[in-house]
Amino acid sequence: MDCRQFCDQHVAFVDDTLAGIELVRMQRHLAECECCAKHDAKIRRALLLFRNLPSIEPSADFSRRLEARLRECDNDRLLATTQRNLRLGAVAATLASAVMLGYIGTTLYHHSDPPRDMVMAPVIATIPEPELTPITTSAPAIVASVTAGLTIWPAALFAEQAPVGFAHSRLELTNYTR
Amino acid sequence: MADIVRKKVVSVEGPSLRERLQAMDDSAVVTAFLGGEERAFSELVTRYQTRLLNFVYRTIGDREKAEDLVQEVFIRVYRHLHRFDRSKKFSTWVYTIASNLAKNELRNRSRNPLVLFQTVQKNFQDDDRPLQFEDTTSRPDDMYRKRHLREIVEETVAKLPEHHRNVFILRELEGKSYEEIAEITDCNLGTVKSRLNRARNSFAEIIAPYVD
Repeated sequence: MDCRQFCDQHVAFVDDTLAGIELVRMQRHLAECECCAKHDAKIRRALLLFRNLPSIEPSADFSRRLEARLRECDNDRLLATTQRNLRLGAVAATLASAVMLGYIGTTLYHHSDPPRDMVMAPVIATIPEPELTPITTSAPAIVASVTAGLTIWPAALFAEQAPVGFAHSRLELTNYTR
Repeated sequence: MADIVRKKVVSVEGPSLRERLQAMDDSAVVTAFLGGEERAFSELVTRYQTRLLNFVYRTIGDREKAEDLVQEVFIRVYRHLHRFDRSKKFSTWVYTIASNLAKNELRNRSRNPLVLFQTVQKNFQDDDRPLQFEDTTSRPDDMYRKRHLREIVEETVAKLPEHHRNVFILRELEGKSYEEIAEITDCNLGTVKSRLNRARNSFAEIIAPYVD
């Protein structure tokens, strides 16, 4: 080991953090090199002086002052929380008021209109397409009976069961022409 | 009879809260405080006030200001403890805050010469006060020598460059590991070792004539 390597590792050497082999090499160099031995002694003596500096203690009113500042800190935090809650409350109240006013305004506006009759939209009615059912029975005779007003029971029975569109105008017309 | 009952109750209760807090490590005390135990904070203050005061005082060299800064450290801890990453060491966090405040103080002083003047005045007045930690049984010439030596050591530390001084104090006075110092000063391990080496060499060089 040379002096340069010794100086490079001197911090770890003083702090006792060197590995076994390195430590032995440093100690060996220290025993051999007077210059490095002097340097090592100088550093260690200076550090000893610094480490033995008397410790200073906090002043008597340190705790009291700190306590007062912590209390102040608590009060500030409490105040900030209260203010935040108040702000939130104020915003909520404003919003609620706005909604309420809107509702009241809308209600009043509707109440101010004169009562009117109910007007419904016109309905367009269409006549359903008539269904033309072919007559499968011996219809001409029966129909003829009906139109003639004869009291024929089968015709009466048919008439009762017949749909509305049974007597179709075209059919009647046909009958008349016949 | 009532006394016997009271004694039994006391023995069943076990150690007081203060004793239990004293027995806890920092992490447990922090957890207790965050769990609503206000007295846990007092325990943290008790543990760190003297250490932090010495650290800040050695860094900035003004006792009154050092006390103010230590108070500020505790206020910040109190306010932001809920944000503290509990996977890390509490002491490292506290020293980081203290180190940053001390650095800011030194920066402000260099910007504002008036502050520096006030500091010099304060230090001058401090010199007139009797020392609190000296052995009064010593002979006057010993006392003078000790006091003189103490002043020289303090002046020598003050002469170190700020970033060297910070590392030097954290290592030599607070006994922090290189890793912790790296975290507190926000630089890498190599830088810490290099700064420490330079600080030790400079300190030894400056103080050597007074010691020999």
